[in-house]
Amino acid sequence: MITQYSGIAPKGDLILLHKLGEKLNNRSFLHINSTRAGGGVAEILQRMIPILKDLGIDARWEVIEGDEKFFDVTKKIHNSLQGNFENITDDMWRHHYEVNRANAGRLNLDADAVLIHDPQPSPLIEFRKSGKWIWRCHIDVSHPLKEVWDYLLRYCGKYDAAVFSVAKFARAMGTDEFIIPPSIDPISEKNRELANEEIIETLNKFQIPNDRPVILQVSRFDRFKDPIGVIKAYRMVKKYNDCVLVLAGSPASDDPEGDIVLKEVQDYASDDADIRILLLPPFSDKDINALQRAATVVLQKSLKEGFGLTVSEAMWKGKPVIGGATGGIPLQIIHGVTGFLVHSEEGAAFRIRQFLNNPEMAHRMGEQGREYVRTNFLITRQVRDYLSVWYAMENKGRSVLEL
Amino acid sequence: MAEIKPFEFKQCVSLLKSTGKKAKNLRELRDIISIVSDESIFHHTYQYFLKGHILEYTNDFAHWAGESLEERALAEHLSNIDPYAFKNIDGLRQELLNVIDGYLENFPEPREAIQGGEFYFNETITLTFSAGIRAKNPAEFLIAVKYMDAAAVYYHFYEARVRLGVDDFSEWFEDSLGRKEPAGKIRAIDPFMHSIEKIREHIIEAVEEDVRTGMESIGQ
Repeated sequence: MITQYSGIAPKGDLILLHKLGEKLNNRSFLHINSTRAGGGVAEILQRMIPILKDLGIDARWEVIEGDEKFFDVTKKIHNSLQGNFENITDDMWRHHYEVNRANAGRLNLDADAVLIHDPQPSPLIEFRKSGKWIWRCHIDVSHPLKEVWDYLLRYCGKYDAAVFSVAKFARAMGTDEFIIPPSIDPISEKNRELANEEIIETLNKFQIPNDRPVILQVSRFDRFKDPIGVIKAYRMVKKYNDCVLVLAGSPASDDPEGDIVLKEVQDYASDDADIRILLLPPFSDKDINALQRAATVVLQKSLKEGFGLTVSEAMWKGKPVIGGATGGIPLQIIHGVTGFLVHSEEGAAFRIRQFLNNPEMAHRMGEQGREYVRTNFLITRQVRDYLSVWYAMENKGRSVLEL
Repeated sequence: MAEIKPFEFKQCVSLLKSTGKKAKNLRELRDIISIVSDESIFHHTYQYFLKGHILEYTNDFAHWAGESLEERALAEHLSNIDPYAFKNIDGLRQELLNVIDGYLENFPEPREAIQGGEFYFNETITLTFSAGIRAKNPAEFLIAVKYMDAAAVYYHFYEARVRLGVDDFSEWFEDSLGRKEPAGKIRAIDPFMHSIEKIREHIIEAVEEDVRTGMESIGQ
């Protein structure tokens, strides 16, 4: 498994993975989250567990089970941690705890290191048996509803360490807090190299012309992704630069507003034949890959964003990218080096025009972007960091560790 | 003849930790700099070049002053601080404070950063390890340095200055090989003016010339 990344991931990361694998050989590493499929956490765990096993680590992945009420409560917790008002009653918190207690009875929690993903399974810390326990928070908790955060701290504050994706997503918890950005898998269906025929097949399937530059945004139909702003920018570009706009997204089953936003976008696009709005079914990874590879310029013009890994996906394909300066996007786009950060529709239009009229610059930034992703946002780096956190916790108090 | 000590390539990676401290204006930045851990000061100054790409500034404090506070003159002052000129972190910390205090005397009300643009104080745990490659002569060194990870160039060119006061490469050329010319050329590379890839290119230039000269002299 790990050998498949030779020649792709930085050699140093692979060397360090092997060294950490030797240090932690045969020791157990348990990951627990709340869903086996769907969402970025499950996606990365599916790829990560075989890599850990290949390194000689006894890695396991368990999923907590809960009823509808439980997931209603955890959805409310999730929303309120991101700053939205939700009323979480004592009864709801009790249910959150009780479901976790039932799971603790069902699951084998015995491991040398336990990584608990997100707030849903966080009360499992009350049932720890052994090992180092780490809480991995994938969401932005920089401006939470205070009472919800304070309640959750009674669990999260008991962990040996916490991990956040971006420094500005974190909150002071009185425990060691590590910053580990998420990652993409370069050999997954969404990111592997494609033959030209495979790209053409996707373009034909969606009737996308390839005789003109293609501007692409891949994202859910969500107002925070600003699809209307993308169309406005495209119209400004179109005045002097003929091009095609593709807005591709999957329906978000957990977002009741998704249909409304999609309808708004379709109405706004009106009868412009050069705007393609694609509603992709789940598991469209290969089509997304092909669209990203076919694109001339890739946008992620978000107004609010989590980490925004679609940016790294496009950069990995050597594409010039333009992103909203929000969430984790500025960590991926170094303005003027690996792409452009924008703050308005006008800014997005200007940068698209710059790329379309300067193919050499677009190529250079695309190449720099690919290398930046290679050294910072591949799955091998994320596994390396998780194992490094575990190793560092076993050597607490030292700021330099020689392996 | 004494045996030549081979050059052992090493590299390092940094595991980022949040200190939980953040500043939204210059006064808060100043106050936190005065109390934050040595590791945090080290990270935001010495480890700036670990990012691998050249930016307008030479440390994170200067970058934030220039980009988030738009205090360009302060950014220039902070960028001019040479962290390798200090014997310890406290010396560097004091110099950062002197520069900020001097600026605050002249401009007592600098603007605040917008929400989300605050300065986040981080620190790192550094893991060092052998890259598994050693060079016994300049030609082997040349091939190795061409294909090393950028993190290895960082480790020997920047991190070494904290350990030895000088980079590892020129030290080896001078002390182990007795070759002063390439050593001098490597030492003349300005560590603050290049990306790691450019540093690599300049090292290659210096060593390539030495290898070429060496080969030509054998042929005579």
